[in-house]
Amino acid sequence: MKYMILVYGSQQDYDSMAGKAAGGKPAWSAADFAAMGAFMEGFNKDLAESGELVDTRGLTAPVHTRRIQLRNDVPVVTDGPYAESQEVLAGYWIVDCDSFDRATEIAARLSRIPGPRQIGEHEVIDVRPIAESRDELDV
Amino acid sequence: MPETEVEDLLRQLAPQVLGAVVRRYGHFEQAEDATQEALIAAAAQWPDEGLPDHPRGWLITVASRRLTDLLRADQARQRREDTVARWVLPDHWLAPAADRPPADHDDTLILLFMCCHPALTPASQIALTLRAVGGLATAEIARAFLVPEETMTRRISRAKQQIKVSAVPFRMPAGEERAGRLAAVLHVLYLIFTEGYASTSGPSLHRTELAAEAIRLARLVHRLLPEDGEVTGLLALMLLTDARRPARTGPGGELILMAEQDRNLWNAAQIAEGVDLVTTALARGPAGPYQLQAAIAAVHDEAPTADATDWPQIMALYELLMRLSDNPVVRLNHAVAVAMVRGPRAGLDLLAGLGADERMRQDHRLPAVSGHLLEMAGERDAARAAYLAAAQRTSNLPQQRYLHARAARLTGDR
Repeated sequence: MKYMILVYGSQQDYDSMAGKAAGGKPAWSAADFAAMGAFMEGFNKDLAESGELVDTRGLTAPVHTRRIQLRNDVPVVTDGPYAESQEVLAGYWIVDCDSFDRATEIAARLSRIPGPRQIGEHEVIDVRPIAESRDELDV
Repeated sequence: MPETEVEDLLRQLAPQVLGAVVRRYGHFEQAEDATQEALIAAAAQWPDEGLPDHPRGWLITVASRRLTDLLRADQARQRREDTVARWVLPDHWLAPAADRPPADHDDTLILLFMCCHPALTPASQIALTLRAVGGLATAEIARAFLVPEETMTRRISRAKQQIKVSAVPFRMPAGEERAGRLAAVLHVLYLIFTEGYASTSGPSLHRTELAAEAIRLARLVHRLLPEDGEVTGLLALMLLTDARRPARTGPGGELILMAEQDRNLWNAAQIAEGVDLVTTALARGPAGPYQLQAAIAAVHDEAPTADATDWPQIMALYELLMRLSDNPVVRLNHAVAVAMVRGPRAGLDLLAGLGADERMRQDHRLPAVSGHLLEMAGERDAARAAYLAAAQRTSNLPQQRYLHARAARLTGDR
């Protein structure tokens, strides 16, 4: 069964990770960044070795978002629709594992990502089952 | 690494970096600024600190980071002012792309097409091309065009605004459109060259950097489209014309007519390359205007002396050129060739017809050529009057001085 693990971040989080203090969040040091990189590598390596990793991607800063919406029945593009502090999708993993509980166990490891910004109470990791076909959606 | 080598490398990488950033993130306007800043940072750091392992990747990373900052500032301002950056999707983005042309990953060419977009004025096309594709700084472009930097900054940002408004997608135009857009690109390169070769104002007759830059860009396009006859023709034309540059002015900066130039000063290597190019292009098929002009330049360049010029061939080439376009300057040059083959009277007869052309009314070239042909015909007073009339119509100092000198020669003894 496939699950999607989603992590979130605001433009300010991206800034602090890039070494700029923003919105009360401290700038990451080179050591912080290296530690995070090492953690991610290990995390992904474990998933690849257990055969559970389908795909994982990080997204670029929210500032690069294009949003398409209908306005008076015409599709209109908005560049950079998010506020600086708004938490938006920052990356995802798709894992193929035996149960929702196993996927949750994997996701829980992500709450230990090192860095000055610890996963706080307002910062969340979501796990969601992936529908394999339209039938599953029609339930 | 020496500074000049770093500069050459940066100029070469500039369009590749901008292309990569725009392809990935869009926002041509801010991406162009971000790329400029990355280039400036590299120009400051690399000569002292050495090249990074991957110069192109380094520039793309720095430019992308800078772009993020620029976008954030823009978006924050828009939120403050409660305006949102919105744009309507072009209709064709909604339909399935059935006729999608094969992916063309040459960003340099796409950038050239963008910078020479028909929505822009020629002055904007030139400025934007030099900056975005040529990698020149605004100050350098302003200096080359003898305008204040402020003016050039405004011209460039206006051009980028227009590109944004016209929602030009970052991809190669297809089919018919591509041919028309390529013609616009070649025209812009040609204008940059002529601006460098014979400036329309100012104390110095040629600003060689612009001509050299036009040749560099034409070489670039030729490398990308080696089979295109007109691209080859344009490059050949530039090389064959520029080859005469060292002989074109005297020690005091005065203009020297081709017939009186010291042909030993002509750049033989450039002539050989130009002749080679135009020969290849002409052998390939129907000749366009740049190829014909290059062929004419080649006939001039290959004559060991002015007297040995093959004027009948030049006359024939101008006749072919006239069939392709109704251009009064071509007709003017044709009249000169006719005069050299059949005598000054025959040439003057053709000029009479040109005087009625609205486009030539303010141009100094018509009376200047009249002066030469009248002088050949022995009509000294009329020739003198024509030279003086021509001098009044040009704002170029060396040209004025040349024309006054020709007139003065005719006032003395008979």
